[in-house]
Amino acid sequence: MTHPHNRRRTITSLVLFGCTSLALATVTAQSGSPRSWWSPGQGTPLANLSTYDNERGQLGVLNASGQLETKGHPFFEPIGSNGRACVTCHQPADAMSLSVRSIRERWAASGGKDPLFAAVDGTNCPNLPPDDPRSHSLLLERGLIRVSLPWPPRRPDGTQIDPEFTIEVVRDPSGCNMDAVYGMTSANPSISVFRRPRPVANTKYTTHQNFGVSPFIGKNGMPAATDPLTGKPTSMNLMSDARAPTLAVQAEDAARSHLQIAGSLSAAQIARIVEFERQVYVAQVASTTAGSLVEADGPPAFGPRNLEAGDAGVLGNNTTRYVFPLGGKWAHMPHTNDEGENARGAARESIARGHDVFMFRTFWIKDSMHLNSVGLGNPTKRTCATCHGMHMTGMDTANGWMDIGTTNLPWASEVPLNPWNEAKPQMPLFRVTCKPTVKEHPFLGRVIYTQDPGRALISGQCNDVGTIVMQQFRGLSARAPYFSNGSAATLRELVDFYDRRYTIGYSEQEKQDLVNFLGAL
Amino acid sequence: MNAHRLSGVAALVSAGWLASGAVASIGADEPTRKNFVSCPIVRDTASVPCWLTEYEGETYFLTLQTDVSAPVTPPWLGHQVLVEGVVSSEPRICGGVVLKPVHLSVLPERDASCSTILPAEDRYNLTFEPPRPPGPSKGRLAFDNRTPAAPPPAVNELTKEFDIQYDFDRLVGFSHAGALSQILNFAREVNAREIEIVGHRGAVLLSNGRTMVEEPTIGKQRAEQVSMLLQGANLKEPSYKVRWLDEPAKATGVDDYLSRRVVVTVRR
Repeated sequence: MTHPHNRRRTITSLVLFGCTSLALATVTAQSGSPRSWWSPGQGTPLANLSTYDNERGQLGVLNASGQLETKGHPFFEPIGSNGRACVTCHQPADAMSLSVRSIRERWAASGGKDPLFAAVDGTNCPNLPPDDPRSHSLLLERGLIRVSLPWPPRRPDGTQIDPEFTIEVVRDPSGCNMDAVYGMTSANPSISVFRRPRPVANTKYTTHQNFGVSPFIGKNGMPAATDPLTGKPTSMNLMSDARAPTLAVQAEDAARSHLQIAGSLSAAQIARIVEFERQVYVAQVASTTAGSLVEADGPPAFGPRNLEAGDAGVLGNNTTRYVFPLGGKWAHMPHTNDEGENARGAARESIARGHDVFMFRTFWIKDSMHLNSVGLGNPTKRTCATCHGMHMTGMDTANGWMDIGTTNLPWASEVPLNPWNEAKPQMPLFRVTCKPTVKEHPFLGRVIYTQDPGRALISGQCNDVGTIVMQQFRGLSARAPYFSNGSAATLRELVDFYDRRYTIGYSEQEKQDLVNFLGAL
Repeated sequence: MNAHRLSGVAALVSAGWLASGAVASIGADEPTRKNFVSCPIVRDTASVPCWLTEYEGETYFLTLQTDVSAPVTPPWLGHQVLVEGVVSSEPRICGGVVLKPVHLSVLPERDASCSTILPAEDRYNLTFEPPRPPGPSKGRLAFDNRTPAAPPPAVNELTKEFDIQYDFDRLVGFSHAGALSQILNFAREVNAREIEIVGHRGAVLLSNGRTMVEEPTIGKQRAEQVSMLLQGANLKEPSYKVRWLDEPAKATGVDDYLSRRVVVTVRR
């Protein structure tokens, strides 16, 4: 890597997998170092295996097909009209997603001029003054990109869906949903929601054609979205609202909406983008406390090479395969006279305990649409791995949109309103009313308040309000904040959300262990 | 169906519950059937939870928590459940008289009074290993009776009839994906020329003598939805004949759940 501002470092597989001490030294040396940023068109190659520092250690990015020449590559070149490339929001250092830390650093480095802050969706609404950081507050504070969706929703063939509900704007801090040009009453009625960019990596898992993929969705019996090229049903697990069934469709959608491309991507450009996305893997490779995560005899759950080798689209919520297989490692580390070695052993034991919390700690899961409604009963006494069951990623193998309360009230994070708090809500709030001709939502009733209707903005179905496709657990340490609306700033806040939502009652030790486990993925 | 339907005689009659002098007749050799509506109850155990309910002073065992492969899946707190079951001679489970076979329909209306979760007690712990533990499985689903793949159509098989069963007052849900896939696959295999869909409206004779009838338009809704779903799965070549019966089936108290159905006939 030759770019002077890029701290990416290429190391050989031998070093990464066989030399723990060197990897540890690297982690220590790079701790707190500036973040790397991949600018559109910078033209430097993306190595076969690269590592990037983050607060919990190092992320590994694996190009399974070997070093990639990015010069002229449509994923890395600013092919749109606003100077962005795909890589703008899918940064290698951020696990092919985008961390709020990188966003803030980019704002500081560019004075807000970076194409990332393009008015179209890098502002809270395109009509706001571009140089004012307040115009970009959702991006700068929660890492959120504006997503404008037509209302009423449309099918892939462009025909309009008659939605099962009406929707009203209750709160519109961005001003975009009530705006005469961009809002619901505009010439092109649209609803603006704000969402995190998802990691474009490990895509053999996010686009698998294996267990749980069928012509009719196993959670509601509706027809699954099909690949327009093959006609085959898809897992619909790429995007938070499942609106793009394939990588190719997503690339076209993103080029049009986020890059503001003139015309459309060529077939050759789509093919190159998809080819790249099909072979890039990301996962944490080193921990600041537990050392290398990818030693030759280490747990087979960790690192991008294990992801490359793993079976895609198979259920891991069992004790024969496991979601994240530790292979019996790290549960009991030997104690020595070396304090450093013992500290590392303790950190590894914490990761192993966190795995067991994820896999075996039961709690009552209640009132979650497309979870309790799919044959498990309400409530169901299960574990994290029940829903996060796909081997190696923790996604759903089947179509994975659910309502766990991240965007629907009463569980969604809201600013406490009182005379002593100057903070104001930043997220929009919608009131959704299920029409009398359909049955009310089984857990939320006929009127639902939500910050983001999620899948319902695509399907038009009442039962989909606030449902979000769950995402993979990989590279979490590199891409805070979490949840589709960035409402959890840290992994600890993420764990606390679940603890609160499902009245789990995790002990402090369980929470710490779970955070350490998630941070190692 | 509205929320008042279960709360008083007047409301029951006006909204679809029909008073009837007939009670499910039970002969000497007939199994004892229990058809009723009540709140489900969850009882925790040292393993998986039991799902129970109470009716006329007795506690009944409905099912265990297992997984999506289960032939009987648990009901939902926050909703009443229609129970259509046969009293079994099996030993009580979690303190409840076992209903087997049993058909459970989660009623669409919310009912906040259905909220009982009972703690585990040693005396109610399971005396057998459940089909599936509450966490990860042992590498297999609890049951292997999921909808089997349809056999390839015989060369001279011109017509095939498919029966889709429903819960009370419900449309297609999670359990129908397999049945719909079977229809789709058969229609594609034989290059179907015509698909006839007939929606039915069911009724249940309850043990208290009342008849519970599905909402008036449910047959139409079911038939039109199945047509829409098959076409939504790109089965657009055949012609569709869609019709429904507004008149509810006659309730007898015996296997009335079979009356909640759509019949799909695929013709080559």
